[in-house]
Amino acid sequence: MPGAFEGETVTRRRFMNIGGQAAGGIAAASFLLPALGFAIGPIFKEAPHTWETVGPIGDFPDNNYIPTVITITPGVGEAGKTTVYVRKRNPAIDTDRADRDAAFIAISTRCAHLGCPVRWVGAAERFICPCHGGVYDLLGRRVGGPPVRPLDRFYTRVREGYVQIGPRYSVNSELERFSPRDPGEPIDGLGQYAYPSRPSARKL
Amino acid sequence: MNQREKEEYLREYGILKSQGKPFFPYAVAKDAAMACVVMACIITMSLVLGAELGSKANPTTTTYVPRPEWYFFFLFEVLRVVKPPSLVPLATIGVPTLGMILLFLLPFYDRSPERRPERRPIATITGIVVIAAMAFLTYSGANAGSPTAIEMATPPAVLKAGGTTLATYEAGKLAVAQTGCLACHKIGENGNDGPGPQLTHIGARLPRQGIARTLVNPTAPMPSFRNLPPQKFNAVVEFLSQLK
Amino acid sequence: MPKLPAPPVPAPLKAPPARPGEGNGKVAPVDHGRNAGVAVVDWVDERTSLSGGARWLMFRKVPKGTNWFYTLGSATMFAFLSQAVTGVFLAMYYRPDPSGGAYESIRHVTNEVFLGQFVRGMHKWGSSVMVILVFLHMGRTFFFGAYKYPRELNWVIGVVLLILTMLMSFTGYLLPFDQRAYWATIVGTNINGTGPLLGPYLSDFLRAGPEFGATTLSRFYAIHMLLVPGAIAALIGAHLYLVTKLGTTAPPWLKAEKDPELRKAEA
Repeated sequence: MPGAFEGETVTRRRFMNIGGQAAGGIAAASFLLPALGFAIGPIFKEAPHTWETVGPIGDFPDNNYIPTVITITPGVGEAGKTTVYVRKRNPAIDTDRADRDAAFIAISTRCAHLGCPVRWVGAAERFICPCHGGVYDLLGRRVGGPPVRPLDRFYTRVREGYVQIGPRYSVNSELERFSPRDPGEPIDGLGQYAYPSRPSARKL
Repeated sequence: MNQREKEEYLREYGILKSQGKPFFPYAVAKDAAMACVVMACIITMSLVLGAELGSKANPTTTTYVPRPEWYFFFLFEVLRVVKPPSLVPLATIGVPTLGMILLFLLPFYDRSPERRPERRPIATITGIVVIAAMAFLTYSGANAGSPTAIEMATPPAVLKAGGTTLATYEAGKLAVAQTGCLACHKIGENGNDGPGPQLTHIGARLPRQGIARTLVNPTAPMPSFRNLPPQKFNAVVEFLSQLK
Repeated sequence: MPKLPAPPVPAPLKAPPARPGEGNGKVAPVDHGRNAGVAVVDWVDERTSLSGGARWLMFRKVPKGTNWFYTLGSATMFAFLSQAVTGVFLAMYYRPDPSGGAYESIRHVTNEVFLGQFVRGMHKWGSSVMVILVFLHMGRTFFFGAYKYPRELNWVIGVVLLILTMLMSFTGYLLPFDQRAYWATIVGTNINGTGPLLGPYLSDFLRAGPEFGATTLSRFYAIHMLLVPGAIAALIGAHLYLVTKLGTTAPPWLKAEKDPELRKAEA
């Protein structure tokens, strides 16, 4: 096949064309890909599990919640803390699996709708979210408003007479345990597949 | 638009353009005047309204009532009124994404050559409805009261009675706000509309004893308030029976 | 081309016209000074040929009937410029440190820095003004049918600019690190998380981890002051290029008058 000049072939021109584009692509990818990987890296890094002692077992009654401040992200001071509501397990009302991780019930204050701070109102025995109107009962199950699942919980354990609070986990409406999800992600039925657990946060 | 309509538009536009004025200085003068108006607005707002800084971020709070900046009020209100949990992803992601896609593709599905607003009734009415809906949502989002306080004018009858009546009324108002009634009931502008009924005029519908009975022996999912201290309980009943 | 009227200067103050023959062709230093500006522009233009572009941009015609509604676009751009400038100066004081530095630096700007509250107020309220102007500009384009042929691409760029503007107001929200900022950001990232399948990873990306952490604030800061403004500036350039290339629309109710000669011929 003749090319534009004597002795030049279209094949040669195509080679230059593809070669030029490939070289440019490689040059661009060599800074774009590392930068992108650098930015999305934290998605795949599992956050370390910490256990924090919050008080002797006698501090927590089995019929009312005690607000307790724990650190969930170390190194950022106040910004890494959160409040959990802690009480002793009460076999008369608690229906979830009773194993060594659940001698105490620690309920997260992050609303399961979109993460606003819920408040325990003892008189009404309800957790109430001030943002969009989520209401939860004593066990953290939704009784009103838009939340898509019960309030999240934290693993608890007892060491030498002291209650320790560990990582967070999510529960479905039957209070079965799931890897921690972000608020707004249902885990009943198909929800657990539509909102998969993330590599950055797994259950114990 | 077919080829003929395209050419017709370009010809028409070419004539209008040739009859127009040069961009500099005519349009530039208008733009510059407008820029001055914009800057005057910004500077006035900055001087009059200042730049408030709230209290420091505190993730451990359980009493703070988060509210967004005014231009997200419409989204906030949508999230508040969409109650069924199964519809939550639709309200958070579904509808905004769909709206953006529709906006993005507008020139590709609205291909008629007509440009006058009054001759494009569907587009014009849709636009007006969307703007009205967003204005309404913004308005109601801005007026959404907190579920931990009641901002309601004291009825004149109570004010006139004064003394213990007024004191009990105010105590009951505070107690109602603090015992979480507003999580499920709406009183005036405060609280959530559902799952419980509105209580704004409960005193007109139920006698005092009826209110007290309901508070002690409610129908599920409402919890019983029989454990409230008697003084607080009476204040709550007194306050609710005054809501007429 | 119509001429602007001369400014109303009283006759005695007007500079007398130069008399012919005065100076006998010699160029006085004052004249050099007078021509300095022109000379510099000439020098630059000789090497860049920018004057063609400037002429193309400034001395095009806008259709007749153009009214005040047509200034909304340039007003939006002006609000963006104001945001960019005030933002650069706020960045000189800001520390994206969630363990106290961020809030403290904003408090310092607001309460102690000379004109600090004023500049921060301009940035804060400027964002509101810019959002309003974006919506007004879009409303004008929508109701005047100005997104139709041949300006479809410009509409698409405009919608991207709208999304980027909303992204700016969302990421700028967190930076003062007060209660409202923090909780609005928590809700905002969780809203992103409710997208099926990809949502959880997206909110992890925004937070740089499963919870609000040490680098969340600097991530939002980088997006707010580098990534998105760069994209906005580039897209405003494309938007303006297309506006100049295609011309601003005429109001839709305007019909072109027939050429006078054509009308005469018809009569």
